[in-house]
Amino acid sequence: MNTIVHSEYGREIKFHHRSDRVPGNMAIWAAILAEMSEFAIMFIVYFLAKVHHPDIFQEGPARLNTLAGTANTVIMLTSSFFVVRAVFSMRNNNPETSSRWLWGAVVCGVLYLIIKYFEYQWNSAQGLATETNIFYGVYYYVTFNHFLHVGWGSAAIVWVIYRINTGNYTKDEHEGLINMALYWHMIDLAWITIFPLMYVIR
Amino acid sequence: MKAELSQVKRINYLWFLLIGLTLFSAFMAEQPTTGFKSVVIMALVLAVKGRIIVDHFMELKHSHKIVRTLMQVYFYVIPALIILIYLFPDQIAKWTTL
Repeated sequence: MNTIVHSEYGREIKFHHRSDRVPGNMAIWAAILAEMSEFAIMFIVYFLAKVHHPDIFQEGPARLNTLAGTANTVIMLTSSFFVVRAVFSMRNNNPETSSRWLWGAVVCGVLYLIIKYFEYQWNSAQGLATETNIFYGVYYYVTFNHFLHVGWGSAAIVWVIYRINTGNYTKDEHEGLINMALYWHMIDLAWITIFPLMYVIR
Repeated sequence: MKAELSQVKRINYLWFLLIGLTLFSAFMAEQPTTGFKSVVIMALVLAVKGRIIVDHFMELKHSHKIVRTLMQVYFYVIPALIILIYLFPDQIAKWTTL
């Protein structure tokens, strides 16, 4: 579809062809789609394990720390919001503000990791481990995998902050920032799927 | 300038909505049992949250059709699976038994 429409984002793009624009570059999209597929496989494993062990999966979420899961969901969503605001600031030719928003996202990433660490400790004190039953096996596999993504995603944000502070990005050229933002949103998407599956739905 | 303000306003509003939906999910998690109605609500909450992030945070709402569709479909399929797994667990277990 080649209808010309107003862009909602980025004041430098006044019009675009609806079907042409892709934020970021091809490499980041290959990575994002690969990662989304990886998480999809984990979710399919969860669904299959659940239909084969319904009682275990009914009890499992009740013994997890809902507060930790909720806090981390709020933190992930907030970090994604900060990243969006960082992109807006860069487009408005304000790299210093962009950098500050990104530091906010890094703080969120670190907070997420700290909460997840204490959640694992709390689980351990309750006697919940990978070998407790299949629910906790799946829970640890999926959430630890996500934990790693948040870790290296946070490191990527710090790298982008360095690039901003050293003047490598401008209002018109900041593809590295966009790529990192897309990747971070992907990590957020994985978590908002994990949260209801592991903590909410019985 | 006006357009910039409105896009910031929209993102702020969407962030509040996402947080509200998350707190609502936490409330649901504290309920003793999960009935069909709450499973459907949780699946819908996930679909809405996913769509907000894909369309507005990742800015895919007006982007290339293939990329946009791939990302949006994810948040139709997973919620649909949540509901199907709840409705037909025995049948799906039977199909997936080796």
